[in-house]
Formats: sequence, C-alpha cells, structure tokens
Amino acid sequence: MSRAGSTHSAEGRLSQLVTVLAFALPVIFVLVPLAIFLVYSFFGVDQGTIVYAPTLSNYVRFFTDPIFLPVFWNTIVLCVSVAVICILLAYPAAYFLTTLKGRWRYALLMLLLVPLLMSYVIKIYAIRSILGLNGFLNKALVALGILDQPSTLFVFNMNAILLTLSLLLIPFAILPIFLSLERIPQTLLRASDDLGASSLQTFLRITLPLSLPGVASAASFVFVLAIGDFLTPQMVGGISGFTFGRILYSQFGTAYNWPFGAALSVALAIVVICAILVGERFGRSRGTSV
Amino acid sequence: MGLKKAFLRLATIGLGIGLMTSAALAANLRVLAWDGYADPDWVKDFTAATGIGVDVVFIGSDDEIWAKIKGSEGQDFDVFAVNTAQLQRYIKADLVSPIDITKLPNQKDVLPRFRDLSQVSGDTKDGKVYGIPFCFDSIGLIYDTDKVKPAPTSMSVLWDPAYKGKILAYDNGEHNFSFTALTLGYKDPFNLNAEQMAAVKAKLVELKRNVLSFYTTADEAQQIYQNNDVALIWANYGQQQVKALQKIGAHVAYVNPSEGALAWLDNWVISKGVRDNAAAEKWIDFMLTKKIGGELSERTGFGNTVVESSSAGGNDKLVWLNNVEDPLKRSDMWNEVKATP
Repeated sequence: MSRAGSTHSAEGRLSQLVTVLAFALPVIFVLVPLAIFLVYSFFGVDQGTIVYAPTLSNYVRFFTDPIFLPVFWNTIVLCVSVAVICILLAYPAAYFLTTLKGRWRYALLMLLLVPLLMSYVIKIYAIRSILGLNGFLNKALVALGILDQPSTLFVFNMNAILLTLSLLLIPFAILPIFLSLERIPQTLLRASDDLGASSLQTFLRITLPLSLPGVASAASFVFVLAIGDFLTPQMVGGISGFTFGRILYSQFGTAYNWPFGAALSVALAIVVICAILVGERFGRSRGTSV
Repeated sequence: MGLKKAFLRLATIGLGIGLMTSAALAANLRVLAWDGYADPDWVKDFTAATGIGVDVVFIGSDDEIWAKIKGSEGQDFDVFAVNTAQLQRYIKADLVSPIDITKLPNQKDVLPRFRDLSQVSGDTKDGKVYGIPFCFDSIGLIYDTDKVKPAPTSMSVLWDPAYKGKILAYDNGEHNFSFTALTLGYKDPFNLNAEQMAAVKAKLVELKRNVLSFYTTADEAQQIYQNNDVALIWANYGQQQVKALQKIGAHVAYVNPSEGALAWLDNWVISKGVRDNAAAEKWIDFMLTKKIGGELSERTGFGNTVVESSSAGGNDKLVWLNNVEDPLKRSDMWNEVKATP
C-alpha cells in the first residue's frame, strides 16, 4: 500500500517536473530573449558603446528618417508577392499530389521536400549561377531564340530576390496546402458528383473553400520566412534590391548599433505577428464553419 | 577562408594547450600572432640561432587580440602582431612598450617606405616607436585585361559609364567612404567633415548606379565573376583575391590607384608585460631578415617590409588604414546610399 503510494507520488513529481520544464523552456528560450530585445530597443548608442538610459529615439528615427519606412514598405510588398507566387505554384502541385494513389503520393511529396535538406547558402549560390548573365537561364533563353542577347532582368535586383525566395520557399507552401486538401472527405466530392455538379463546380464550391485554411497558413508561413531573410537579398539583391532585413543586419556588424537594430526588429516582429494572426484567424474560421 | 578560420581555431586551441604545458619553461618567448606570421620552421631557426625557446599562440581576429592582451593587461605575452589602425588603442591603454630601434639592426635595410617610422602613420606616439612594420597588403583594383583597355590608373574608372553593370564593389561603408574620399582628392580620408561626407555620399550613389553588385567575401566575388560579365573588382582581399582569380584562368591584373590605395599594415609590438625585452627585440629583428620576408610573401601572397613583392611597387602610394571619425555615421550613410533608388 505504502509502496504503491510512493511510486504514485514519484510519478506525480516526475509529471510536475515535466510540466515545469514544458513551461520553463519556452519562457527561458523564447520569451526572455524577446523581452531583452524589446528592452534594448529603448537604449541608445554613443561612440560605439551602448547607453543604458531609456529613450524613444530609435522609434522616432524609424518613423521620421526618410529611408526606413519606404524600404520597410517595399519589403512587405516583396514578401507578399513571394507568398502569392508560392501559393500559385504550390497549389497545383499539392492538388496533383492528392490525385495520386497510395505510396506514390508520399514518395513524390518527399521528393518535393528534399530541397529542405540542403544548405540554404548552397541553394542561393546555385540559383545565383542560374540567374547570372552567363548563367543557365540566360543561356537557355538565348539558345531557344526567346532572347537575342542575355538579359539583365534577373541579375542582382528585386526580381532576382523575388524569384530566389519563391524558389526556396515553395516547399513550405506545398505542405500545408497538401495537408488541407488531403483532409477533405472523399464523400463530399462524390456527393457533389452525384448531385450533378461538374468537376469544375465541385472544385470551386467544395475543394477550394475547404482548402483555404491550408492556403492561409501556407501564405503566412512563406511571408514570415521571406520577411525575416536577409541572406537572400544580400546575395542576389545587388544594388537595387535593398530590403529591410539588410538594414537590420547592418546594425549589428561594424555599426554596432544594437539598440536601433533591436527597434527595427521589433517593427519587423509586429508585422510577423500580424501575419501569423491573420493566417491563423482566416484559416480557422473557414475550417470550423464547414 | 572558412577552412582557414577553422584551421586557425584548431591551431589556437592546440597551441593554447601547448602553452599551458610549457608554462613551466618560464624563459620561453611568448608570441601572439596571425597565422602565417610565425611558421614552425621560422620558430625553429630562431631558437637555433638565439637559443631562445618560443611559444606561439595564433589569433583569428582583431577583437581576439584585444581580448587576450587587455584581458591580462599585457602580462600573458611578450610580443604580438597588430595593425596600425589598432595600435593607437593599445598605446592609449598603456598595453605596449616603446621599442628602441637601435636594437634592431635589420630595420635599417627594410624597404624605403618603412625606413622612417615617423612617416608610417600609427606606428609612433610622442616621438617614440611602438610598432615595427612586418606585413601588409593594399586594397587595389582588379581589372580584366581583355575588357579594360587601357589599363586603369585610378579608382575613378569605377565611375566610367563604359563599365556600367560590369563592376563589383565591396559592401562596407567605412572603406567605401575612405577610398571615395581619396578619389575625390581629400587629404585625410579617415577624418571627413560634414561637407566632405555629403560629397562622398553623393559620389557613392553614382558609384552604386554603375556597379553590378556589392560583395562581401572573396569567394562570392569570384563566383559572381564567373557567372557574369565583370570587368572591374574593388579588391578588398588584395593579392589573395588576384591569385584565386588567376588560378581559375581569369585574365586579370592588379593595380594600386595613383591617388593612393588603402592598405593594412601589421606590426610587431612589445607588450607592457614583456619578461625579457632583449629576447623580444631579437625576435622582431629576426622577423625582419630577407629570408623571412621573402618566404612570408611567397607563402601568403601578402607584402613584406623587407623585399619587394607584388602587393605594391616602390612607387605605389599606399594609405595605411586608420580609425575613422565615426564608424556608426559611416554605416548609417552607407545604408542611405544603398536605399537611394
């Protein structure tokens, strides 16, 4: 009796420990660092050393200096475009996957996700040599007679960033869309067919609305990943592809302006949180209403 | 570069352990240096010639040197290598000892530009010598000999519309302001007044419109060179970059611009906590022999101060890098340049 009681309380202690850990880890590794960032954004910098006196000057500068808001806005537009392109390309791919039977479906899905196993930097390098003036894309277009001479349309500018980010992030769009498509009960589609709807009508009135939660989360995934990226713009953006991530990054190197960098990060974090909330809200309300 | 860094780390750790074990041999000369500045065969020759044992610790960054020297107030090392831009900081913090150059007979035979140390900016303070130049490289201009004719002589070629979209520049505000200031003919590129800063900024916006991209690593520049039509590269990595490009078969040459090329210069200095000043002087003097200088350039591609090398000819004008008036200001203005449409 007493033995059973002691193992019981030991188990209880263990589960308590697990609970504490479960709450403590996110607090220590996520919330505390975020809070530190937030606090730093209210400090200043003088002669290369951080001044620990509260000030709003970083935020004032963000809103008043003419360079930050336009870049910020352009970056948001860029990342929304990336999300749209990714969705447009990922949706047909995911739809095609759900039409496959059995193991083919998952084998192909795995194949589409393989790029995620590769190093990010190596992929950017590879894409950069494809996009270059003597790169594969230009060579192919010239060889096919589509272009007379190599074009600089995709070399070191916003287009290059758009293309590269889309290419890199497509797997993140395919997965949620695929999952939401796969979850649609076949019976609904058959019922629609029985009631005389054409396959286009079935798609527009059943499949598409039911898969929108997946589309919403795919879009917010891609947007969030794209807007936080500074490496891709740095490596393929050249002179005209200047994004918010690059400004942010520059505050932490030689500039050593951590407080201002923190304030810019806070601005970015707000946009990211909004994107996630919108994705979440949109995805869920559609999902539960049916 | 990545591999080199990893190797450096490994060497540092290994030598750190070595240092601990040899702490018992208190008489050894303790040297802190960059990789390539104290090769094992040189150390062996030095010990054979002078009977002085040497412990070398390698470092990977300027910050690391500062941390090691400042951390022990100079007590952990006798001799170390540091560049002219950094040296003044060590003098100010009283971490280095003045050097009596009469104890360095080889200093009389160095290349003309390094003979009068009062003319090497950053090496002296209040008439006392603190640094002995040892190794340098310029930040010149790499040009494709097939595409750029005649050979350029000034950085102003980077603004030439004939090469629009065929230029690679370096993504660093500090250096870009300095070299553009030189191109505009300003005397002190490291201390610009507000009016000069504005002029340089406007000039950089023009440069931006003429370049293909801004690179950060030597590998990156090389990859862009291979996949695009590049005629000119602002060579932050100097001779190393030239050699790497020539290795892949590029027809490139290197020039130090006539208005003056930015250049870094590493010096041997004696720390405040030196135990045996005579041994430290012997080490520095040994490093200034023709044999070491020649081998240094041969192995690293950098210029040495004793025999002529490909980094710079005797008539090339070199402007030793120095601390700039306000790094933060330059970084912010560089962002403004990049954000200008």
